[in-house]
Amino acid sequence: MRTFCFLLLIGGLLISMSAFAHHGTGVSYDASNPVTLKATVTEFRYANPHPQLYFDVTDEKGTVVHWSGEFYPNPAQLIQGGWGRKRSTDALPFGAKITITLAPSRAGTPVGAILTLLNEKGEVIMGVAGGGPGEAPRGGAPAPSGAGVPR
Amino acid sequence: MKARWIHAGVFLYGSVLLSAALFAQGGQRGIPAADPKNAEKPFDKHDLSGFWTRNGSPGGYGGGGTCRDCGDRGFGNDVPSFTPLGQKMFDANKPSYGRNLGTPDAAAHPEEHIGRRRAVPPANGTDPYQYCNPMGPSRALIYPDPVEFVVLPDRLYQHFEWGYGLRTIWTDGRKPLMDPDLPRWWGYSAGRWDGDTFVVTTTGVDERTWVDHFGYPHSVDMVLEERYRRTAYDVVELDMTITDPKIYSAPWKSQTKKFRKLEKGTIKSIEGWSGLLEDICAPADEVDQFNKRVRDPAGGVVR
Repeated sequence: MRTFCFLLLIGGLLISMSAFAHHGTGVSYDASNPVTLKATVTEFRYANPHPQLYFDVTDEKGTVVHWSGEFYPNPAQLIQGGWGRKRSTDALPFGAKITITLAPSRAGTPVGAILTLLNEKGEVIMGVAGGGPGEAPRGGAPAPSGAGVPR
Repeated sequence: MKARWIHAGVFLYGSVLLSAALFAQGGQRGIPAADPKNAEKPFDKHDLSGFWTRNGSPGGYGGGGTCRDCGDRGFGNDVPSFTPLGQKMFDANKPSYGRNLGTPDAAAHPEEHIGRRRAVPPANGTDPYQYCNPMGPSRALIYPDPVEFVVLPDRLYQHFEWGYGLRTIWTDGRKPLMDPDLPRWWGYSAGRWDGDTFVVTTTGVDERTWVDHFGYPHSVDMVLEERYRRTAYDVVELDMTITDPKIYSAPWKSQTKKFRKLEKGTIKSIEGWSGLLEDICAPADEVDQFNKRVRDPAGGVVR
């Protein structure tokens, strides 16, 4: 499963890095140095044109860092991928455990562009696998059928 | 486990192919404007009504890149030289689109006008759309999302999905309004048929709008001419010219832009409710939330 998720992340990053090129808020983030974090959702906003995810990351010493992330697919793109507001919100309730891969802020702040998002079961959430605001493949990249994402 | 490996392999392989394709095409990806299956369909060259899009995805909406042969997301690369005022306004505009300012990538493309090679983080930018201000006509037309042309006996409405903006082009025989008293975000537009070309003249556009998302300026005295031609059942071509002697030393002709037809019912909500999506940029979401909580900290800016 771990290897599978790794390949999934790499695949998503390949897509996202190409879609990153030359576009929008991508200039704020460093897609060439993605970070993967285990996190807990604190807030999710399904907003146009920038859906946002807020989450906490606890380090080995128990220090909690409050992160924020922007999704690259906008709601119109998410809708085409089958990720409406209700489904997305249900997938990201307060307290949900996630594994998130981000292009981190070039400024070094705890902010990132969300490249890949997995729930506790390793399932892809919101089909997120890259792009820029108004730039992503429709709904992000599809999850492999074996990833258990409802269709 | 074996199935998972196969799925992962297929996904990875597909990702590599897609990634390579995107790079190779320099952003001009997606499907072409004309669908071969429509080649024999009759059409009225004077009928522009319906849903049109410059989007390159099969669905035709949701932002993203333009259709393959539909032109890029800028007005044009052959930018006339600026007047002193034009240069001052150009320098004051800080876009977040294009190649990143000061990077090797920007330096490696001298064939592109500097306006396409000066992107800064949005937190440090001045893009009026970051605050949900209206785009203005040229920028809205270039954005690769659907627009519905609603043709009435005396006017044509362009209803843009992105921003849910509505623009009126009067076709009741009135002359273009030169030197209007009050500039407007969408300006004042008058249209007429010249043979098979629908010609629109727009004046009085608020100079806070940008020509395109690369931050090219215009003055309130800009005259924007649009020339639409329906060249196939499913294709409308658009050529634009900006005449603005306060800003540009010569008229600026756009790259030819193409729109492809979206059949009614193509655009759908999650429940299948068809019609333009309400892609409104609301300050309550964008300015009060996203800009403060994501955009600014991402750029290392504390306000």
